[in-house]
Amino acid sequence: MLHSRTRDAVFFQVGLAVFLTIILLIILIPFWRVIVTAFVPLEIYTREGVPFFLPPTQWTAEAFTQLLGHSLFPRAFFNSVVITLLGTAISLFLTVPLAYGLSTRNLPGRKLIMTLVLFTYLFSPGLIPVYLLITGMKLTNNYLAIILPPAVSVYNTLVMMSFFEGLPEDLKEAARLDGANELQVLWNVVLPLSKPILLTIGLFYAVYFWNEFFTPILYLKDADLLPLPVLLRNILISASFNEYVEYDAFSSSSLESLKAAGVLITMIPMFLVYPWIQRYFTKGTLVGGVKE
Amino acid sequence: MKSWKFMLIAVLLVLSQILGACAPAATPTEAAAPEPTEAPPEPTAVPPTTPPEPVDIELWAQATVTEAGAPPDDWIAYEVIREELNINLTYVIIPTGDDGEAFVNTAAAANELPDLFQVVKANNDSRGGLLSLVDLGLAAPVEDLMPLMPERAKLHYNDPLAIDLVTFDGQQYGLPEPPPLPKREGFVIRKDWLDKLELEVPTTPDELLAVAIAFTEQDPDGNGQNDTYGLGGFINGEGLGNRFDFIMGAWGVPGVWNFADPANFGLNVRSEKYPEALAFFKSLVDAKVIDPDWPTLKRDEFRARWKQGLFGIMWEDFAALTNKSNYEPFDTNFPDAEWIPVASPKGPGGDAYYGVYTGRGNIFAVSQSAVDEGKTEAIGRLLEWMATDGYYLMGFGEEGKNFIIDANGDISTEGIAEADAYTSPERQPFTQIRNQLIFYNSEQEIRARYPSYQTINGRTMEPMEFLQFFQSQPWTDGRGIQVILPPANAADINRFYSEGMLQFALGQKELNEETWAEYLAGLDGLGAAEWEASAKQALTDAGLLK
Repeated sequence: MLHSRTRDAVFFQVGLAVFLTIILLIILIPFWRVIVTAFVPLEIYTREGVPFFLPPTQWTAEAFTQLLGHSLFPRAFFNSVVITLLGTAISLFLTVPLAYGLSTRNLPGRKLIMTLVLFTYLFSPGLIPVYLLITGMKLTNNYLAIILPPAVSVYNTLVMMSFFEGLPEDLKEAARLDGANELQVLWNVVLPLSKPILLTIGLFYAVYFWNEFFTPILYLKDADLLPLPVLLRNILISASFNEYVEYDAFSSSSLESLKAAGVLITMIPMFLVYPWIQRYFTKGTLVGGVKE
Repeated sequence: MKSWKFMLIAVLLVLSQILGACAPAATPTEAAAPEPTEAPPEPTAVPPTTPPEPVDIELWAQATVTEAGAPPDDWIAYEVIREELNINLTYVIIPTGDDGEAFVNTAAAANELPDLFQVVKANNDSRGGLLSLVDLGLAAPVEDLMPLMPERAKLHYNDPLAIDLVTFDGQQYGLPEPPPLPKREGFVIRKDWLDKLELEVPTTPDELLAVAIAFTEQDPDGNGQNDTYGLGGFINGEGLGNRFDFIMGAWGVPGVWNFADPANFGLNVRSEKYPEALAFFKSLVDAKVIDPDWPTLKRDEFRARWKQGLFGIMWEDFAALTNKSNYEPFDTNFPDAEWIPVASPKGPGGDAYYGVYTGRGNIFAVSQSAVDEGKTEAIGRLLEWMATDGYYLMGFGEEGKNFIIDANGDISTEGIAEADAYTSPERQPFTQIRNQLIFYNSEQEIRARYPSYQTINGRTMEPMEFLQFFQSQPWTDGRGIQVILPPANAADINRFYSEGMLQFALGQKELNEETWAEYLAGLDGLGAAEWEASAKQALTDAGLLK
């Protein structure tokens, strides 16, 4: 009996390992393909396409050189960093008090406020009214046109609210008995315990702003303000229309290599940040869903 | 604990300072003096007098080289336009594709269209886009503008049909720029493969099939491997797309619409010859002489494949095939290879059409708000200058600094530093609107845009020879397609049309009289007959069915 159980456990473990390996390969193989495509030299690409394995001695960073060496790249990268940092900071600054307020059960008009918040989640105002609002506020050619409209995400607010609700009420009550007002409770008690959710929601916001593409096109008409995704897209469009660019100027890499390099470049910042806050990530999203 | 809170506050403060520093200064448009409100001048060919106050003109147009970005604020053209024309020009780049359409539509919906703008539609139906703006009262008639720019009208707006297409209810609303080089694609074949296999250039569909079979089975590249196909292609458009029109043209049915026989105008699939043409195409598929990925290939993948020497017969854009930037990788792989242009194969009934010429060019419009603000005359002055005194500056840069005009009258970069030459990447932002508002396909211009060069083995590549050959072939005049409006269920009709066609071509559905009749009945069930009737009416009304 014991022997049979041990054997079953071994089979289970082996089966699990095989299953997870397959899942891992399903994820890794396309990723590997993107990496090889980004580094494949033009002459190999035009001769035989993208090989699955490419000897490291043949790798070339030409596609990265072409993208990173573009005269507009530093400015576009700077724009993306500013939009991401500022957007994330403003979003957290606005989301935290809203979420905390909604998590306070005795907040006057809590249901009404919650209904209004949910209303915006269910019904989008649409592109034109937002455009009229932004232009009416004279925010075109201003980073705030990209940052303010999505500054408070209802989804993120609800996740954060749920997290705050899960914090021990006794702690807040103790602070109130000591004479702290709600702002002090939030600042001195709640926020220090909320690092996981702040980092998690901060990551959500940062990814959103880093990848934001359409609104910069719409509102940032000054080319000096355009962020990285827009520049990378413009480079790819030019490469794909190479035959119409009469001059021999933009063809040191294949279009596929440029696309793959663009994917990797835009991934890198999030790729670097994610492991750093990974330990908070699960805690941040799951703890909020469990109430004591 | 306190330290991270302090950091949070510090970061917010620093970022707010960065934001303030990054916010652009007020643009000239914002700081401009109130516009003169005089009524538009009477049409006259006499050059208008310069108004005392500078006029702000905002121009929206797509970029020629999207990656290069907009011209800088200190662009010399801005200065020249300000000094010579008394105009403060602001140029905003419209994104390409769907984003560009959304960009213009959003501004239109907010009644914030710029003074002069390119009408952008992702499906290339810019005439339809213009009509929508006219219906909304957002685009102004431009008839008053035409006499203000006589030279430009002569060079750019000299096609009566193009003018007709932007004229609604007797009033011209659009400025139809000359289309990009017309009839620029063509049927080409690997001459080195023909020579190796001792084959002649095919002149009929049957000969084309025979050559394609030989290219597939007789190792034309001599590498000892069975790794080539006769024909390569991809689907570009509805049905089989326009890249196989030279085959369908052998039965007189190139393209979706029957423009070749105006008396029997309608969908080409109504022709009894269409199933015959489709059956021949299917025979190419059945013989496995077409690169089998043709139904799913993208354009760039297709181009990578001919550079890899995968096939020896194809339909290609002359510049994509012959420009140095595109041809060089192929030349490196196969220095002895040679593509030659070939005439359209003649079908059993003697038909031979290369393809359908739609003649679509950019359309520019003037916003009603610009006219209301009295900017008509300034816009005319600007456009005329772009076609005359400002032509070289806007199209090529500064003479002597970015280009020279040589003894033959050709535009050249001889003696110009590489980075200063108008062809250099650094100079592209300065000529961004050349393809939108400046070029009009003059011989001098085309020679400058598509220069000849030497291949690795010393052969001279002459892009113009390919273009001239392609243009000399029999094309169907399909410019009328611009007046055909899509039906409400266009997506359904297109899907049924294209999927059914592909099923026949791939043999997924048997092609016989019965199945073909079912296919046509299916199209009619979606309203194809009504669409044809309305298309015929529109063409008749526009005087395009003769």
